[in-house]
Amino acid sequence: MIKLSRISKSFGKNQVLKDITLSVEKGEVVVILGPSGSGKTTLLRCLNYLERPNDGTIAIGDYTVDCKHAGKKDIHQLRQKSAMVFQHYNLFKHKTALENVMEGLVIVQKLPKEEARKRSVEVLEKVGLGAKLDAYPSQLSGGQQQRVGIARALALNPEVILFDEPTSALDPELVGEVLDVIRKIANEGITMIVVTHEMSFAREVSNHVVFMDGGVIVEEGKPNELFGAPKEERTKQFLKRITSDWVYNI
Amino acid sequence: MQLDFSFIGTALLSLFKALPNTLLITAVSVLVGFLIGTAVALIRIYRVPVLHPIASGYVLFVRGTPMLMHLLLIYFGLPMLIDSIAGALGWGFRSTAIPLIGFVYISFSITAGAYMSEVVRAGITAVNRGQLEAAYSIGMTTPQALRRIVMPQALAVSLPNLSNNLIGMLHGSTLAFTVSVVEINAQAQIVAASNWKFLEAYIAAALLFWGMTILIERGTALLERRINNYNRGGVA
Ligand SMILES: Nc1ncnc2c1ncn2[C@@H]1O[C@H](COP(=O)(O)OP(=O)(O)OP(=O)(O)O)[C@@H](O)[C@H]1O
Ligand SMILES: [Mg+2]
Repeated sequence: MIKLSRISKSFGKNQVLKDITLSVEKGEVVVILGPSGSGKTTLLRCLNYLERPNDGTIAIGDYTVDCKHAGKKDIHQLRQKSAMVFQHYNLFKHKTALENVMEGLVIVQKLPKEEARKRSVEVLEKVGLGAKLDAYPSQLSGGQQQRVGIARALALNPEVILFDEPTSALDPELVGEVLDVIRKIANEGITMIVVTHEMSFAREVSNHVVFMDGGVIVEEGKPNELFGAPKEERTKQFLKRITSDWVYNI
Repeated sequence: MQLDFSFIGTALLSLFKALPNTLLITAVSVLVGFLIGTAVALIRIYRVPVLHPIASGYVLFVRGTPMLMHLLLIYFGLPMLIDSIAGALGWGFRSTAIPLIGFVYISFSITAGAYMSEVVRAGITAVNRGQLEAAYSIGMTTPQALRRIVMPQALAVSLPNLSNNLIGMLHGSTLAFTVSVVEINAQAQIVAASNWKFLEAYIAAALLFWGMTILIERGTALLERRINNYNRGGVA
């Protein structure tokens, strides 16, 4: 279970997150929606402590961190509870697909090499890359790279996997293969928080939708509630705009 | 006056006697310099309190003054410093116990450290920030991330500059003759002293340096191809 309470984050004078409180149950697939600049990425990065919140507490599993007084050790512990899938993949470019996935298992979780290797191969097979174990990121397509990114996160068996627009840097024809993989692991009951603009995907895989705007959570609920009968005016407008964009794109 | 070709060969052979000193000076200064340079680069990138301005001052001073000056300052200054400290603390140690080549190691390591720090710093800065973030996201500590992810990529980027530095230090090692260490340059002088065929001796020395430089360049090219094999392909 994940519990964020009263998370605030400012960049200089610009307050990007304002008192965000959010609970995520084990096994939930949470989708975060919101216009550009609403703070979605920042929220995910705070969870992984790639950004340091100014205030609030983050609890993942049995570990709670008070952001104001977090020390190096807290940050390190907290980071091990979550894993991030980045918009631009951020694969270790001097390592092969297999080495990318093994790295965290061997260096962070201190698994014996053979065991780490076995698990990494399994996970890479799961994302459909069993034939690309020894390829370097530069030898893989964007969709393949992102699937390695997902495997790298998945292998660590974290409490939660954070996805920040995992398909938005991809060519349209590669989006499907990545969404398929995410759908597959969502169905396995892995807790995840996904920022995405893929509305139909969001609707289909999520069981908890959060709409953010201006650094606050405007509305949250079950997908059929939020998509079918949004309560807040801002949510309605956003959904209207994004669905019409979507229709327009087709 | 005519060039005595056969004496170039004779001189070349005797220059090999001094080769170990040249190689030692180069290797020690480059290796220690690399360690200093990496530490200084990290101190400056992470703006470590107290150490940060010291590191910047060090780089500024060393790069702003000739290498020969570093050698002379260390050669004349360090014994004074050591003897006064040893005297104050009542140690029996005297600076005369330090072999001359020791001063060369120390001063050239200091020189190389400053230049290397700039190379390493540029290499680290060239590594995409996303690489470090990915390392953090899988739970690595900063030292783990630096050692496993950032430094290998930074070194791959810096390889040509590091190699240039190595060549610079190899050529710079000739300055050691000013403090009576017999490296190739000094040996050439010694060889020529008997028959005044300085030109021939220096031609031999130049050939020797040139050969070593070519070796370094070849080695670098080979290494570069191996290290950068992850940049092949380039599908995405
Ligand atoms: N490192 C930073 N330094 C300064 N300002 C930042 C930084 N990162 C984000 N911001 C600001 O914080 C605000 C929220 O950014 P964030 O990236 O979280 O938005 P987002 O909801 O993810 O938007 P998008 O949909 O475009 O990805 C923006 O106004 C942005 O300019
Ligand atoms: Mg974003």
